[in-house]
Amino acid sequence: MITVASLATAGVVLAFATFVLRKDVRTIWVTYRSWLIMAVLVLGFVFAGRVAVIVGVTLLAVFGFKEFARATGLYQDWWMTGAGYAGIVATGVTSLIGHPRGMEPGTGWYGMFVALPVFVIAVILLIPILRNRVHGQLQLMSLTIVGFIYIGWMFGHLGFLANALNAYGYLLYVVFATELNDVAAFTFGKLFGRHQFRSEISPRKTWEGAIGAFAVSLALPWVMRFSFPDFGVWRLILTGVIVGVGGQLGDLSISVIKRDVGIKDMGATIPGHGGLLDRIDSLIYVAPLFFHMAGYSYGLR
Amino acid sequence: MNEWRYEPAQDLDQPVVERLRRFPREPDMSVYAVRSLAALACRGWLKLYHRMEIAGREHLPRDGSFVMVANHASHLDVLCLLAALPLRRLHHAFPAAAHDYFFVSAPRLAVAAIFVNALPFERQIHLRQSLELCRQLLANPGNILILFPEGTRTQTGEIGAFRPGVGWLLAGTEIPVLPCRLEGCYQALPKGACWPRPYRLRLAIGAPRTYPRAEPHAVADDLRQVIYEMH
Repeated sequence: MITVASLATAGVVLAFATFVLRKDVRTIWVTYRSWLIMAVLVLGFVFAGRVAVIVGVTLLAVFGFKEFARATGLYQDWWMTGAGYAGIVATGVTSLIGHPRGMEPGTGWYGMFVALPVFVIAVILLIPILRNRVHGQLQLMSLTIVGFIYIGWMFGHLGFLANALNAYGYLLYVVFATELNDVAAFTFGKLFGRHQFRSEISPRKTWEGAIGAFAVSLALPWVMRFSFPDFGVWRLILTGVIVGVGGQLGDLSISVIKRDVGIKDMGATIPGHGGLLDRIDSLIYVAPLFFHMAGYSYGLR
Repeated sequence: MNEWRYEPAQDLDQPVVERLRRFPREPDMSVYAVRSLAALACRGWLKLYHRMEIAGREHLPRDGSFVMVANHASHLDVLCLLAALPLRRLHHAFPAAAHDYFFVSAPRLAVAAIFVNALPFERQIHLRQSLELCRQLLANPGNILILFPEGTRTQTGEIGAFRPGVGWLLAGTEIPVLPCRLEGCYQALPKGACWPRPYRLRLAIGAPRTYPRAEPHAVADDLRQVIYEMH
């Protein structure tokens, strides 16, 4: 039943992706081609199973963190960058292994996963002490902590979501809905955009785009109800709100960093999109919020 | 409150291939890791398959920038010279590689930039800019420049004439240069061969020399003579 539902989701995902993107093909076909490749990759990883998803999310986080480090200049300090990477790998490992005492395997180590920032931040604070350094350390520590929390841990909730009973439905929905929310914001903004939304942070974002995207995100859970068969009315509304608001917030939170540093894109990894981080930024809020919303009422297992 | 200063990577907006092509390259943890592992594997290969011998390691300066100059017969040459260096200096060793050969196609570029850490050297046009690049490199402390002053691999196994570029770089400076003599590389992997034969390789590193008062041409000739007489 879930498999059928997820397969149908995949079909819808592809159909939607193709439909939405064909409009752009004349103007920016590079962007379109990158979308197609990404869609295939995401589907491949999700259907390859739990381990593949967790490994894939961890790799995305590692390379996302690398872009963040290169953009902020953190990359020149190998100790801090290394601590960030180690934290991200630890996030992946706690998603992968079970609780050491009992519990069924393949469920992830929830307690450790949630408490992980304590340990990673402790290690980051320890580095200047071990190296006996003062100068510029506050900036380095802060950057590493922000990078790890945003990209490693908050985004890493997507990997832990693979432990859910209904993992395929959740994962495909979250990724698809968030990206659709992005595209909708862009499209509505282009069509009706008049009033700037956060003029200081991202001049191209408009109220019209944000509201349009929010409406699309609110409607989508009802259309794709088969992704989460056990959700009631309130959960469906919450899902819509989380994706609609969280997607925009994630985008803006990375834009704040970019604007402060003074760069346009985080990198040039994906042709037509900019850096990896420019594409996954919307998931930074959505992943943990959706994760806890779904886990709170039903338990992921 | 003081404002934070961010120093984004210079090559932030460039795709990976362009990032590898530019010089100086930004430090990259994954590239360094791959390079170190490859260097270890390469040292093992040279030791076991080619039974490589290195003489004169004690001549390598502990710190400071210096130049290594060697005769050139094979692609193995640069691997032998890199194998003589301590691993921690590997990422500060820059073999000058022909721009028109190594920096054109993506696979060669990847090998040159990732494994060998090559400096793109324009041997026909823009020679002056390339030498200027080398000069800047040596002005920073702790860099090692590896040069093959013949400018190409020998066709006959004999040591060809040294081009004066190396002289332009060294004449009138206190930069130490280590003459290095490579033997066996021509037999093991000559120009045009695609797989190395298990010939014994030998690298002799000579004592450092400086040329504070010399003509560029004389420097090149002198280095060739020294290497020719080494064994």
